[in-house]
Amino acid sequence: MIEIERVEYTPVSVRETLILMKDISELMIDLAYSAALFNNRELAEEVTELEDKMDSLVYVLNMNLMLAARDKADAESLAGVAKVGSLTNSISDAAADIAGIVLNDIGIHPIVRKVFQRAEEHLARVQVSETSVLAGKTVNDLDLAAKVGADIIAVRRGKHWMINPEKEIVLPEDILLARGTAMGLESLVRAARGEVDEIG
Amino acid sequence: MADEMLLFEKITQDLVELKDTSEMMMDLAYSALLLNSRYLAEEVRLLEDKVDRLHTEFELLVLSSRVESQETRGLLGLIRMGVVTERIADAAAEIAEVVLRGGEPHPVLSMVIQDAEETVETAVLGEGSLLRGKTLKEARIPEETGMWVLVVKRGDRWIRPRPDLVLQLEDVVIASGYAEGEEDFQGLVSGKPSRD
Repeated sequence: MIEIERVEYTPVSVRETLILMKDISELMIDLAYSAALFNNRELAEEVTELEDKMDSLVYVLNMNLMLAARDKADAESLAGVAKVGSLTNSISDAAADIAGIVLNDIGIHPIVRKVFQRAEEHLARVQVSETSVLAGKTVNDLDLAAKVGADIIAVRRGKHWMINPEKEIVLPEDILLARGTAMGLESLVRAARGEVDEIG
Repeated sequence: MADEMLLFEKITQDLVELKDTSEMMMDLAYSALLLNSRYLAEEVRLLEDKVDRLHTEFELLVLSSRVESQETRGLLGLIRMGVVTERIADAAAEIAEVVLRGGEPHPVLSMVIQDAEETVETAVLGEGSLLRGKTLKEARIPEETGMWVLVVKRGDRWIRPRPDLVLQLEDVVIASGYAEGEEDFQGLVSGKPSRD
């Protein structure tokens, strides 16, 4: 028997839920592409887990939308929101399909690596050294997006991936997964390896 | 052999463009939604046509490569990846359609739009602009005008607002923010002094 979780009604802010779904779907795309680029099953599995989370979120969003409608005007407006919710879910389904390429061993063509070298968004994996300036600071405090144009999207510590880290403190030996411009990622990699005293 | 190199180069180029464009469309579609901007929504619809054409070209190229049996799985992976970019672009275009469906006075998505006071402004980098040749970080647009740069359009290319992006003459800078910042933003980017 296939077990699918029952989703219960919880009151949530529609705007916040939709923004959360948007953020998760974007993160899933980055993680899925990373999984393909590095041919990494664990990352692909993380994407599949996030996909389950998205499915529950769509249910909760729709339940809240249904309760919010009082008249025809509301219904017209809320139908648009429901549509966006389901489209955001389609985007996350697309990301899950990239993960599926890895999980089903369909094959990563050498062209894929070239594509990632040239695409606007680059991805990098780097281990944090003992002497790195990044160590001991939270991901939020590092403010890498503004300083160098790169974002840490996941941190691997021991056997666990922490997805979309914010308040997590970066520690030596962590493996960082980041996206950004080629230059931004180069600065981040140098900082992680402890080759520079300052970020940026 | 030379032909095959050329073909692979073209396949790479197309997939790079599909990936970049689909992600850009997603960014623009959500911005259109959260800011209730018909302008951005219409741009997303235009990009959708481009992606459809590109995707067909990409699939034809992949299919025309002379496949050695050990390569079929890799090529299937490529085709799947292309399909994903196209699906993302489709979803983005449909989000844009939701925005376009709404009438001006009563935004369809009144529950989600950021703040009714916020607007989307575009300004063209002019001859006299001090921002010419500066990076976005050096340009300090949010600090000077209170407007937040969403995207930069150069010719028919859309570029993400990275701190190291160097601004050029005739770049179209698209930003969002409160209406008060509008004039300062126009003045700073275009290089033409505002009336007061």
